[in-house]
Amino acid sequence: MENKKWTVSSVLGLLLVIVFAITCIAPFIYMILMSFTKSTTLTLRMQDINFSDFSNFSHVFNKSGFFGALKNSIIVVCCSCFFNCVVASMAAYGFEKKRFPGREKIYNMYVATMMVPGQVTMIPVFIIMKKLGLLNTYFSLIVLIINAFGVLLIRSFMAGVPDELLEAAKVDGCPEHKIFINIVLPLIKPVLISLIVFTFVTSWNDFLWPLVSTTDSDMYTLTVALSLLKTQYGTNYGLIMAGAAVSFIFPFILYVFLQKQFVEGIALSGVKG
Amino acid sequence: MKQKRLEATQGYIYILPSLILILSFSIIPIFMSGVFSFTEYNVMNSPKFVGLENYEKVLRDEYVRAALVNTLKYVLITVPIQTALSLTFAAFLAVKMQNKSGEFLRSVMFIPVIASAVTSGTIWRTILGTDGGILNSIIGIFGFDPVNWLGDSKTSLISICIVAIWKNVGYFLVIFYAGIMDIPKSLYEAARVDGANTYQQFFRITLPMLKPITSLVVTLGIIWSFQVFDLSYQMTGGGPGYSSVTIVMAIYNAAFKQYKMGYACAMAMLLLVIVLIINAVKQRVFGEKED
Repeated sequence: MENKKWTVSSVLGLLLVIVFAITCIAPFIYMILMSFTKSTTLTLRMQDINFSDFSNFSHVFNKSGFFGALKNSIIVVCCSCFFNCVVASMAAYGFEKKRFPGREKIYNMYVATMMVPGQVTMIPVFIIMKKLGLLNTYFSLIVLIINAFGVLLIRSFMAGVPDELLEAAKVDGCPEHKIFINIVLPLIKPVLISLIVFTFVTSWNDFLWPLVSTTDSDMYTLTVALSLLKTQYGTNYGLIMAGAAVSFIFPFILYVFLQKQFVEGIALSGVKG
Repeated sequence: MKQKRLEATQGYIYILPSLILILSFSIIPIFMSGVFSFTEYNVMNSPKFVGLENYEKVLRDEYVRAALVNTLKYVLITVPIQTALSLTFAAFLAVKMQNKSGEFLRSVMFIPVIASAVTSGTIWRTILGTDGGILNSIIGIFGFDPVNWLGDSKTSLISICIVAIWKNVGYFLVIFYAGIMDIPKSLYEAARVDGANTYQQFFRITLPMLKPITSLVVTLGIIWSFQVFDLSYQMTGGGPGYSSVTIVMAIYNAAFKQYKMGYACAMAMLLLVIVLIINAVKQRVFGEKED
C-alpha cells in the first residue's frame, strides 16, 4: 500500500495534514504565551510576554482555589485509577475463569449498561447521593468513574491467560487469592496500564458530574474551577489561560512519557466500548 | 460437585464489588429515571405521579425543541466532517508516511484529544473572541471582516462544531490508522500487479475493508455528539438566545438549575431512546453481532 511517489495531489495532501497538525498544536502554544502576559485584551503582543513572571499562576493557585482543586483532582484521579483496576480485574477474572450460574446473563447486563449515556443515570444518582449525604465527597466523585468498561476491556485480555497455568498452581496448593494476585495480575499488566491511562484521562477531564455534585468550593475539581474562572475574571485572559495551562499540563506530561499506552488506552475505549 | 460449588462461590465473590457498583449506580438509576419521568419531583418534597404530563410538556417546550434541533445540527455537521477528515488523514499517512515524521504528525494531532473539553473550550473562546481575537486578526490579513463567532446566533453553533471536529479528528485518525494497518498487505500487492493506482486501491480495498471500523467511528461519533455539553457550556453557555443549547444542557438546566427532576428525567429518557435507536440502526445497517 505504501507509495513513495510524490505527485501534485499528494503534496497538497501533505500540506493539508501539516496545516491541520499546526492547528492542533497552535492553540496550546497560544495558551502558554498568553498565560505569561498581563493581558486584559485579546491581542497578543510579543512585548507583553514575560516568561519569568509567574504571577498569573500564583494568582490562580492562591486566590482562585486552584491549589485545592488540583489536590482534589489528583486524589480523585489516583483513587479512581486504583479502584477501577482492582474492581475491574477482579470481576474480569471471575467472569472469564470461574463458572457460576447466570454468568453470561450478568455479563450481558454489564455490556448493556455501556450503551446508556451517563446523563440518563446522573439525576437518580444525584438524588441517591443527596439523600445519603454523600454529595461533596471524594467518594461520590470516584465511584462514578468505575463502570463496566474496565471489566469488558480486561476480560477480553484475560482470555489469553492460560487455564493450565491456573490449574497447575491450584494443584500445587497455591491458595485462590494468591493465584489472582501473584499469577493473574502480573500477566494482565499491559491491559491494566491501558486502563489506568484511560481512567486517568476520563476522570481528570470529567466535568458534568463534578459540576453538579460539588456545591462546596473546597471540593471543586480542576475542570470545575477552570470553568468558573471566566465568570470570576471576565477579560483577564492571561489569568484564564494560566488556569487552562494548569489543567492541561498534567495529562500532557503523562502523554509525552507514555505516548504508546495513551494512544492504545484511549483508542481501545472506542473499539471495545 | 463440591468443587463446582466452591468455584461458583469464588466467581460471585470476585464479581461482587463491581456488581454492587453497577447495580447501584447504573442499573437501578436507569429504572429510577424511568419512574421519575412520570412524576413531579423537586428533591425536597416526595415525588408526585403526573402520568405522561412531563413528556407532553417536553415535546411542546420551545427550549427543548431548540436544544433538539441544535443537537441534531451539531451531529449532522461534526460527524461527517470529522469522519471524512480522519479517514483521509489516516489513509494519507498510511500510504505516504509510514515513518518517524508520520508518527510525529499523528501524535501532534492527538494532543487535542487529551485536553479536556473545558480546557479546549476555554482556549478557543479566547481565540474566537471579538475585540482583537487571534482568529479575527488572521482572517483580517486576508481581507475578511471580523466575525462575532460566539456572540452571533448565526455562527455560535458552527463555531462549537468546528472546535469539536478539531478535538475529535486525532482520536478517530488513530482508530482508522490501526484499521488500515490491519489490512493484509498481500491485497495491495495483488492490486498493484493488476495495475491499480493509489485511488483505486483506496476505493476498492481500503474503504471496503474498513467498513466495520467506519461503522464504529460513525456510531461513536453520533452517540458522543448527542451528548455534547462541556464544549457549549464553556464556550457559549448555550447562547446567544437558544442558539447553542444542547439536549444535555437542557437536562442540566431543568434538573440542577430549576430542580425539575421529573421533567429532566423525561428528557434523559428521550436521549436514551435516541441512543438506543442509533445502536439498533447500526446493527441493522452494518449487520454485525453484538460483541
